[in-house]
Amino acid sequence: MDISESLRMSLRTIRGHKLRSALTTLGIVIGIAAVITFVTLGASVKAEVVGQFGDTPANRVFLVAEPEDEGGPPAALSQPVFTAHDVDELRDIAGVERVIPRGTVGVTALEAHNQTIARNELVATSPALFEGTTFVAGGSFAEGNETTMVVNEPAATLFATNLSAGDRVTVTRKGGTTFNLTVVGVLSENASVNPLSGFGTQPRFYVSTGAYDTVVESPTQGVTQRVYPQVTVVAEDPTQTQAVKDRANEYLDSDASDARQLAPESYAVNARTNDDIVERIRNVVNRLTQFVTGIAVISLIVGAIGIANIMLVSVRERTKQIGIMKAVGATNRDVLQLFLVESVLLGLLGTLIGVPLGAAGGLVATVYADLPLTLPLIWVGIAIVIGVLVGIFAGVYPAWSATRVDPIEALRYE
Amino acid sequence: MTRTAGDDVTSDAAPATDPSGAVDLRNVSRVYRRGEPVHALDDLSLTLPDGSYTAVMGPSGSGKSTLLNLVGCLDTPTEGTVSVEGRDVSTLSERERARVRGRSVGFVFQTFNLMPRLTAEENVALPLVFQDWDRADRLDRARDLLGRVGLADRTDHRPAELSGGQRQRVAIARALATDPAIILADEPTGNVDSDTGATIMDLFADLHAAGNTILLVTHERSIAERAERIVHIGDGEIREIEALDEASEPPTGERR
Repeated sequence: MDISESLRMSLRTIRGHKLRSALTTLGIVIGIAAVITFVTLGASVKAEVVGQFGDTPANRVFLVAEPEDEGGPPAALSQPVFTAHDVDELRDIAGVERVIPRGTVGVTALEAHNQTIARNELVATSPALFEGTTFVAGGSFAEGNETTMVVNEPAATLFATNLSAGDRVTVTRKGGTTFNLTVVGVLSENASVNPLSGFGTQPRFYVSTGAYDTVVESPTQGVTQRVYPQVTVVAEDPTQTQAVKDRANEYLDSDASDARQLAPESYAVNARTNDDIVERIRNVVNRLTQFVTGIAVISLIVGAIGIANIMLVSVRERTKQIGIMKAVGATNRDVLQLFLVESVLLGLLGTLIGVPLGAAGGLVATVYADLPLTLPLIWVGIAIVIGVLVGIFAGVYPAWSATRVDPIEALRYE
Repeated sequence: MTRTAGDDVTSDAAPATDPSGAVDLRNVSRVYRRGEPVHALDDLSLTLPDGSYTAVMGPSGSGKSTLLNLVGCLDTPTEGTVSVEGRDVSTLSERERARVRGRSVGFVFQTFNLMPRLTAEENVALPLVFQDWDRADRLDRARDLLGRVGLADRTDHRPAELSGGQRQRVAIARALATDPAIILADEPTGNVDSDTGATIMDLFADLHAAGNTILLVTHERSIAERAERIVHIGDGEIREIEALDEASEPPTGERR
């Protein structure tokens, strides 16, 4: 019996019981739709996050001091442990091109163009941060210059009259004292300067380390120095990033580093490359996707049981037809094939309804989460394979029981 | 109707069989073991020559259905051999018996036994599906056969849209699909009125005239009398083989 005839006969049976077939495939539809929705969402999150990191050059090593085994966002909890001494030492490591310290200056408000806006921090860093990024106007401040600042486009537009190079901004510190800064550069909106502290779309005000006032007595030097929560080490050669990271770690673990002594007991001083961070986020997203997929698999099992159940009923109902087919020459293999094809068609039908439904679900979820939609096409193929496998899994026993029908008994059956 | 050769053909009459016939049963026994063993057939021998038309009569439980199932390769004998077209089918595997069923045997049932979801032509073509015919070829053949049984204008109808007599004619066309060595008919007029039954029997007479070998089971004498001979069965044994003269003519004046 050729497969196309099995298909034709099975399709006719399925169409003959539209409602029953629809309800039977519901479990598969829900399972497949759930898998596709969450896989799509996961892929979209991954693509967005990884894409953001992909913008930053691969030659950077990010140093932070975080609580050990903390799964939170990178650097959010980092403590100021890297002293100016550490920054100098790191700069002397072989293969390091430059070292960019980064900290925040606590403020309460900014005033420009006779307008005051609330703001709780300025980012203090060195001009090295801006190397390779795009300015829409002006340029970087000088190292240690206490009276100039750089803003990014989202920050510039916080004021009714956009900030531009040359504008004066009056900053009120947390303590209430004020000082004046001159804007010397405006960064383009999509300049992603440091993946550890959010992305380019957030407003940022940058000042030089000259305006940074967080200090500590260096345990190794015995003098008061500026101390930073984050340091970025830039390798000369992107292929040497891993080696630079290892050397940085080696230094940070040694007694010569202030960071090691300043870090609280439960904290670890970590050096991470872009790849490490991307990997970490990918793991989090994958774990979430796996969890949800696991739940969907339960739905698929329920769906398979539903198909198996209805196939058993179908075999019972069609006992006489099986007898007729055997009487006119159907082999057990023909009967097995006919019922397996029907079961596989039910599984496939569920998949074909479930995939677009899941894709639509993924679209809604990504729109809601404000993510660009990334449809993992491979999963459409996987879903179809799953649908077929579920059909086979569910159909094997009913189809086998159909071959066991005794034609003599079946033909007597009314 | 004349009764000739009314001699009892007992179990010892094995020489009466002829392996060159369309069907040959030799010393066939069939015992069902459900609780007490039941001898449905007991050392029965019978030959159906090519082109013969045999009716089997007997009370219910006499073994005539078992006989039909054995010839139709739906069942295997406990002892003895059943040959179809000279081939011993009693020792074949289930798969091989299905092949023989499909190729060499055509069934016509009392309750028609058509596939409800298939059209008349698809029902007729069904045996050819299992013989791996092309769809176009087998539907051509089916339409041809439906024309032969007078249903050329009903090819697209489903069984539910056909009368009892029409359904039985579809079933007869189906039995002819693979041009089988033997047509087995089990009370083919049992579910139709007598007028329709007569046309069905005319059809069988036509098939016989065209050279088909027919084995027909019935409990109605008037139906059995349309055959060349009547084999009377009781308790699993042949009680009598009754040869009928003028077998091709309707003995009771039914219209042709």
